[in-house]
Amino acid sequence: MSLHAQDDPGLRHAQEERLRAAWKPPEGWLRRWTDVNNNRVGVWYTLTAFAFMLFAGVLALIMRTQLAVPENDLVGPNTFNQLFTLHGSAMMFLFAVPMFEAVSIILLPQLLGARDLPFPRLSAFGYWSFLIGGIFVLGSIFFNAAPDGGWFMYPPLTTRTDLSGLGADIWMLGLSFIEVSSVAAAVELIVGVLKCRPPGMRLNLMPLYAWYILVVAVMILFAFPPLIAGDVLFEMERLLGWPFFTAEKGGDPLLWQHLFWIFGHPEVYVIFLPSIALFAMLIPTFARRHLLGYPYIVLAAVGTAFLSFGLWVHHMFATGLPKISLAFFSAASQAVVIPTGVQIFAFIATLAAGRVIFSTPLLYATGSLAIFVIGGLTGVMVAIVPFDWQAHDTYFVVAHLHYVLIGGTLMPLFAGLYYYWPLVTGKKLSDRMGRTAFWMLFAGANLAFFPMHLSGLMGMPRRVFTYPSELGLGGLNLASTLGAFLFAAGVLVVVVDMALSPPRAKAKRNPWDAGTLEWLAHPDDEDWGIRSVPLIETRYPIWDQPGFVAKVDEGRFFLPDAEEGRRETIITSVLDARPVAVLRLGTPSFVPMLTAIAVGGVFILTTYHLYWWALASGVVALGFILRWLWSTAEIPEKPCKPIGHGLELPLYIAGPQAPGWWAMFITMLADATAFSGLVFGYFFFWTVHTGFPPPGAGPGAAWPMIALALTAASWGATLAARELHRRGGVAPARLLLGAGALLSIGSVGAGLAGPWLSGLDPAAAAYPAIVWTLAIWTAAHAGIAAIAQLYALARSLAGRTTPSHDADVGNVTLYLHFLLFTAVVAYATIGLFPEVA
Amino acid sequence: MVMRQAIGMLRGRATVPLLLALAGCNQQQSALVPFGEEAAVLRHLTVVMVAGAVVIALALAALMAWAVRAPEGRLGLRGGERLILVAGGVLPTVLLLGLLAYSLPAMRPRAVAPADLRIAVTGEQFWWRVQYEPAGAAPVTSANEIRIPVGRTVLLHLEGRDVVHSFWIPGLAGKTDMIPGRRNVMAVRATRAGLFRGQCTEFCGLSHALMAFDVVAMPAAEFDRWLAAERQPAVAPAGAGKALFLANGCGGCHAIRGTGAAGAIGPDLSHLGGRTTIAAGMLRPTEANIAAFVRHPERFKPGVRMPAFPQMSEAEARAIARYLKGLK
Amino acid sequence: MIERLRARARSLNVTLWTLIVPPTVWAAHFLFSYLWAAIRCAKTGSFSTAPGVFWACTILALLVILASGWIARVQSRTPGDHPPHEEGTETDRLRFLAYATMLLAGLSFVGVLFTAAPVLFLSDCR
Repeated sequence: MSLHAQDDPGLRHAQEERLRAAWKPPEGWLRRWTDVNNNRVGVWYTLTAFAFMLFAGVLALIMRTQLAVPENDLVGPNTFNQLFTLHGSAMMFLFAVPMFEAVSIILLPQLLGARDLPFPRLSAFGYWSFLIGGIFVLGSIFFNAAPDGGWFMYPPLTTRTDLSGLGADIWMLGLSFIEVSSVAAAVELIVGVLKCRPPGMRLNLMPLYAWYILVVAVMILFAFPPLIAGDVLFEMERLLGWPFFTAEKGGDPLLWQHLFWIFGHPEVYVIFLPSIALFAMLIPTFARRHLLGYPYIVLAAVGTAFLSFGLWVHHMFATGLPKISLAFFSAASQAVVIPTGVQIFAFIATLAAGRVIFSTPLLYATGSLAIFVIGGLTGVMVAIVPFDWQAHDTYFVVAHLHYVLIGGTLMPLFAGLYYYWPLVTGKKLSDRMGRTAFWMLFAGANLAFFPMHLSGLMGMPRRVFTYPSELGLGGLNLASTLGAFLFAAGVLVVVVDMALSPPRAKAKRNPWDAGTLEWLAHPDDEDWGIRSVPLIETRYPIWDQPGFVAKVDEGRFFLPDAEEGRRETIITSVLDARPVAVLRLGTPSFVPMLTAIAVGGVFILTTYHLYWWALASGVVALGFILRWLWSTAEIPEKPCKPIGHGLELPLYIAGPQAPGWWAMFITMLADATAFSGLVFGYFFFWTVHTGFPPPGAGPGAAWPMIALALTAASWGATLAARELHRRGGVAPARLLLGAGALLSIGSVGAGLAGPWLSGLDPAAAAYPAIVWTLAIWTAAHAGIAAIAQLYALARSLAGRTTPSHDADVGNVTLYLHFLLFTAVVAYATIGLFPEVA
Repeated sequence: MVMRQAIGMLRGRATVPLLLALAGCNQQQSALVPFGEEAAVLRHLTVVMVAGAVVIALALAALMAWAVRAPEGRLGLRGGERLILVAGGVLPTVLLLGLLAYSLPAMRPRAVAPADLRIAVTGEQFWWRVQYEPAGAAPVTSANEIRIPVGRTVLLHLEGRDVVHSFWIPGLAGKTDMIPGRRNVMAVRATRAGLFRGQCTEFCGLSHALMAFDVVAMPAAEFDRWLAAERQPAVAPAGAGKALFLANGCGGCHAIRGTGAAGAIGPDLSHLGGRTTIAAGMLRPTEANIAAFVRHPERFKPGVRMPAFPQMSEAEARAIARYLKGLK
Repeated sequence: MIERLRARARSLNVTLWTLIVPPTVWAAHFLFSYLWAAIRCAKTGSFSTAPGVFWACTILALLVILASGWIARVQSRTPGDHPPHEEGTETDRLRFLAYATMLLAGLSFVGVLFTAAPVLFLSDCR
């Protein structure tokens, strides 16, 4: 196939027919929900997150009405506590984070000229998990059973079952479920950015949105798992009475605060950076020039990601930690302002250097920057420890965080909404309604939240359902309430504008005359994503590469056809985006949805203490997951296929070049981070208690060391199996995999034998509880290793793994590397540390 | 409705007119109206930072307006990168290092001498256990009211009994959490006498909003006299109240020095009549309020530990209230 | 000597991993500072007024960041011109990554200074 072959309209038409057939969406009232195409899943995801945002907003309006006047009795404390807990939790877990993932699922493939993300079924699984978890958590308020311990869920208020009810379990388990789906989305997005870029899109040509998404997804990998570890400890305490946070039994409530905020502060940047990424896309469009200071933006994104992990204690300035510890975090909280400043000035410089077209999206962008700057400045103030001693847990902080989140997340999303609406629907939103809504939102936000700075300093604590009139806070609160309603009215105008959109006429293609790849999208959208995968030579190819759009449309670039009727996209190398392989993508299936239902069942049934049913649901989930995996990494009917311009790419790859390997590596990084959260717990107890670990009370050194030896042997067997298999030794490799599975099962037994035989009672004190937790965590991972080894064995027996197609064996080996690391740390901690300490 | 009744009884002052409220007439519980050295330092810090923030916000807004209007090419690539580096990177670095150096010394805690008065305060759902521990003398127990001598250093020992609370007297100093299993310390010094208010600032359950306390800053000599008097057994007025109090088993939870009542579960009620509020800063200590609270504490404080006494007659409750109100 | 070093620096690989060396050093130093203070205060109740270990680690961190920044600077000037490195060539990709690494080294250097500042002002565990 050459450039000239594509001159033939008949050929092009035939290609389009084949592409259309391969990407045909499933039809029927039930089957349509099996779709996995990013266009559709992304839109479902976005609309669901938007609906949850509206719901959480209504909760806030009820709160503001209650607080409009002092000593009001619209709702009592019981309802009010549920309202603010759910408002915060929903905005964070059910709106801000999922919204970024949803928008990225829509945008990322288009920005990268990919047909879809590498694991479309994983996106669908993430969506269904999100939907089920979100409805479970939010629905609880209609049964007066919503969580009421605040979105931070501080124990012992929330762990003592006499002080808190089912709501705490709903929060912990429902949101854990959603955290799992967030991590799944992070895996998808990282692999997407690193491996699915179009040929030629080297790292220095990557759209800034992709840089931000890469950074944010990596942050999720390190930020969410500590919370998952905290959730594990929390539910162990609530359901089984393991006293991690109970002071009388050697626990410490502060451990939760650490684990929560190690998640909680990076979380702020997880939801802030993607919104700034939208600015980085739309500001160049309306400044009619390249973004000025591209490397500075990359510096800012990466720098913020790192620094944001050194801020968590600034939510704990009042906990009485040593001042020197507080000061370190105060200093880091100051330092994080620098990359933020750099980003803002990169935008200002771009606007100054370009010829600005003042459109509605740009109005939202500049307005939200103004709001964000105020939030940023008060952020500097609360980062100063002594000032925070006054402002902490008062309405000053409520003002600060809403300025940051409205200016740094919500309004930028509205900017993105007005900017990208034509991309998704082919139609523009109304400029008039958009601008009206903007001014209502802008005025409403300031009227609602500016007075809170004052009411906070004048003595109004957060999370109070009422306040005495004599504090003189009535006027300020009334203003806040009026502002909140004005803001809500502004949101309503946006919703109406969206609702009025369907009958409107289609806009022209690329209506803003933008320069980046996503604007190749045609108003009459095809499901194949992009007609041909382009060769990228500049950062703004539509602006700078002559004839670019026509060449893409006429299929003159790569992969213009679907000869085998399969969904395909190109895999490229990380640094320079050299084409590496053609990846065959997952097709519509019920499996992601059913897996989500089964996994959700585990969490939801556990909430109601239906442990046997939960276990059954878990077994079903495992079955679905194995069924799902079984269909992946298939051996292609031919080794290579041409993608045009004389390039032939393999249809099967394994090892570090393959998306599957990266997915395993990234998932295990997240897993190892959660594990380190548990280990942190062990050593945290060691620092706060002099008698920890209690001499002679531990699991001893023998059993942990036996477990470690068995794990190491299992690891060795798997490694040897991989090497032998690669060299054609299929039979010995199978034997070794089988032996490895037995050794893994042995290490499960030996790992649990230590605490079991030494009679450690986990409900008695924090020490046995944390030892048991580490042992169970490691044993469970060894159990999964056994399943993985048997899976690889089964694949080999079924002929789905051969010496030249050995991705499964490689991925299982990678898992075993992480297992060995986990076992070394865990067994050294519980077995050897008591001897040393 | 229940809550309305409860709050309607809040100290019973007239609702502050809107304009006055906007002008900020709250003198009792405000970080902007300090009566202690710590809070004064923090107010100074606040003023400095607010001034700086206003200047920076205005400058940025002006710069943004200029950037949007500037003709194309007003700023070249080199100039733009210099702007990003200097205004976005170097300038914040210098300003923030300065702010850090300015604020770090303000973190140093006040020096404490062994002779200084120590007050142990324990946060419980939803009230405050207070114990005065003067050097070289036996401790004196009280509740829901903190009295401090003006001009002397006072060391506060702060703990949480059941859940996490936070101790905040905005006019005196910043807040410190009260965490089960930990003891936090805070050293303060009041600069002027007066009646002030503090409140719990860590969400602690149903009645988190209803967990406040009074702070009385007194001239040092007056404080010494007060503490000496507080140490003495309560002088009970005549009447049936005392007997009813004991007969209803109130002494199982509450202590009144000089009577058989020695319970340590609820607030110490010795000298209750001398306090400015009851129910942790919520109600004026009138007979009617006390009687209503005795019979139905849950109406005033959802989630309160004290059981209700619905079977108790109004007259009996009044008698108990008269007795308690008379404990001077 | 300098020339030889420069040639060595130029020959080093530049990847996403090298990009995060300076902030990783900042993170390691930050974690060390936090753990050092937390464990000293929890176990002994004080930290020495001239904490030699602390300053040694701080200087070490600053030196590593300086070194990586210097290497990045040399690499970013490979053919000798200025940003934007937006050509679709391997050199421009390399120069861009090196330039970003250099900027990150600057930020990380400042970050370590920020982290170390409290030890100058505070001297006990209260």
